[in-house]
Amino acid sequence: MDVRAQISMVFHLDKCIGCHTCSVACKNIWTDRKGAEYQWWNNVETKPGTGYPGKWEDQEIYKGGWEREGAGSIQLKGAGKAKGLANIFHNPHLPSVEDYYEPFTYNYLNLIEAPPGDDQPTARPVSLITGKPIDVKMGPNWDDDLGGSPDYARNDPNLEALTPAEREAMFQLERMAFFYLPRICNHCLNPGCVASCPSGAIYKRGEDGIVLINQKVCRAWRMCVTACPYKKSYYNWHSGKSEKCLLCYPRLEAGHAPACMHSCVGRIRYLGVLLYDADRIQRAASAPDGEITRAHLDLILDPFDDQVIAAAQRNGVPDSTLKSAQNSPTYKFVKQWGMALPLHPEFRTLPMLFYVPPLLPVMASVTQTDGAQKERLNPIAKTWTDDWLYDTSTEELWGTIEQARFPLKYLASLFSGGDEKAVAQPLKKLMAVRIYRRWKTVGDIDESRVDEVLKDTGLSRDSAEAVYYLTALAKFQDRFVIPPAHREQALEMLEFTGDTRGSQGFGFLERPERGA
Amino acid sequence: MTDGRAYAAYTYNVERLVPWRTLTGRQHFYLDHELYLAYGEYLPTYKPSPRPEAYGDLRETLKSGEAMALNCLTPHGKWHIHSTYMENHRMLTLSRGCEPCWLSEADAAKLGIQDNDWVEVYNDHGVYCARAAVSSRIPRGVCIVYHVPERTVGIPKSQVRGNRRAGGHNSFTRIHLKPNYLCGGYGQFSYHFNYWGPIAPQRDTHVIVKKMTKVIF
Ligand code: SF4
Ligand code: SF4
Repeated sequence: MDVRAQISMVFHLDKCIGCHTCSVACKNIWTDRKGAEYQWWNNVETKPGTGYPGKWEDQEIYKGGWEREGAGSIQLKGAGKAKGLANIFHNPHLPSVEDYYEPFTYNYLNLIEAPPGDDQPTARPVSLITGKPIDVKMGPNWDDDLGGSPDYARNDPNLEALTPAEREAMFQLERMAFFYLPRICNHCLNPGCVASCPSGAIYKRGEDGIVLINQKVCRAWRMCVTACPYKKSYYNWHSGKSEKCLLCYPRLEAGHAPACMHSCVGRIRYLGVLLYDADRIQRAASAPDGEITRAHLDLILDPFDDQVIAAAQRNGVPDSTLKSAQNSPTYKFVKQWGMALPLHPEFRTLPMLFYVPPLLPVMASVTQTDGAQKERLNPIAKTWTDDWLYDTSTEELWGTIEQARFPLKYLASLFSGGDEKAVAQPLKKLMAVRIYRRWKTVGDIDESRVDEVLKDTGLSRDSAEAVYYLTALAKFQDRFVIPPAHREQALEMLEFTGDTRGSQGFGFLERPERGA
Repeated sequence: MTDGRAYAAYTYNVERLVPWRTLTGRQHFYLDHELYLAYGEYLPTYKPSPRPEAYGDLRETLKSGEAMALNCLTPHGKWHIHSTYMENHRMLTLSRGCEPCWLSEADAAKLGIQDNDWVEVYNDHGVYCARAAVSSRIPRGVCIVYHVPERTVGIPKSQVRGNRRAGGHNSFTRIHLKPNYLCGGYGQFSYHFNYWGPIAPQRDTHVIVKKMTKVIF
């Protein structure tokens, strides 16, 4: 057992209001620079949608992440020794300006400098790259709120899991729903970006697992841009280096939450330490398709287990970090309650950002009827055409998970590599907590029914209360449990990261030389 | 901001026990004014939107070519407070570079409008030129322009109105008075700017939507 500590994240999707405060906070701090205009280290997408860059999830196009070969070993899909060499001067899988967007501003000066005329002047959009007027055709959040749904939402790669009828149902006004998916770098345990870099410029910090690109060592190969299946490594066209989310490590080291999390209006974000077994990374990353989520979650260790603590201490993990791991909100969501899942585990990078999947609005069921049914309806059921029945009288009050607005198949394609059971579990727990709270605050549900749903989902009244607290009431210090920085152990302060080739570059991480 | 906390509505009333500025000093849910009783609006009440003819926003406007009359709603924008921050570069980048006119998939198809095409939205009162955002979340027969776009940011000249610079969404909306707006002098039913006065029904109007023939800035 090789116990290491990782600062991990949980995003609670039911709470995200899609305000983009996170994106703006990040942009203002880190990427408001020439060459970085198009970089959105934090972005928020509408789902269903094609996201940013367009269709990033489709690895047929971008060749990101790892693929499992016959013998059970895994290879980078589009980078790595042989493939990297073959495409060294031209990489056909790199996203282009069209996949991102041409950054633009407005000719504001025209408002005061336009010659006199009969009409008020206007500030035309101009390209931030060429300075010339442009026709704005794409942006970093172009399909916001289902904008352009015929071109974007309907082409969401995750819809491939659905039948044409199921897809169509998702876009009927009466049952349509969407949710927001905020994304940052996942600071993966098996990062494609690190493994792909021919210069060894990318490394995973020993003390907290933050994945960083050494700007002095980067040689603009851009292999990381292809290899990251989440497209969270961006090439700066001005400096000629690749850049990515650094989890605001200078803030973390000073005890502050990353800017995106600190500013999050919906308070959807949680940050805390997870302990994991580095010996099992390779096995987890190369687990067979159906088992990858389980294997990933199995890597995460119980911070209260004596053996885990001893092994962590042997590895030089400071006690203060262990303490943070024991108080970690992410440990609660991911392991203790089993309510958070990684995004696209099938990319096999073992992301350390987990999502509580969206339960979405409580909902009545909508069914197509023969019109005649209207007569037989419960008086509180409403109809708006003769063929569609809007039934608010479901026995369960909130319907069932299977009736949810988003087909389970769709959510499974996002959060569990297609495993519907795995994604239904957290949703059932969310529902159980709602039922429990309804019983407690409104009291129109039978106590026996509450105990039954809690038992079904493996929650107790106490844990339901704790889930409710962390979801709805938690304060800063509950949501962000930041371990004190131990800069004395930091690799890059002591030596040049490019020299420690063994710990990055092609292949798996090697054990760094630190601790006892 | 006071003590690191942002101002929120009613903080004074709750924390300093300042009575609400109403007849009773409490919050009112039920309005016992004669006119409200007469119109059946003493409690929050659903009333169907009047028909376009009753509003009379399209009496003079000619419909020509591929154009369609739609019910236009102008709800609060997602990221600007009315027109304040509307021209914010960050947020324009994070949306569509403008405040578009949202159309349903079905209506857009009928009008030959594709997502991001330029459209004109006009009626007897005025015209707004914008890009189309075609979306499955918009019901047929309805279009939405979030309020308030500024014509100072990338708005081309209107082709249906003689190649002149069009206005924002306020150019095609107007205030519709309801009789109960006219009551007053009774407790909180007294005119005070932004507190008691004609309200949101100007956000429900009728317009013609048409693809723009030429884009001239
Ligand atoms: S998401 Fe994972 S693979 Fe992508 S840049 Fe971050 S650490 Fe690297
Ligand atoms: S700031 Fe929070 S609530 Fe707003 S979009 Fe970002 S993650 Fe969602």
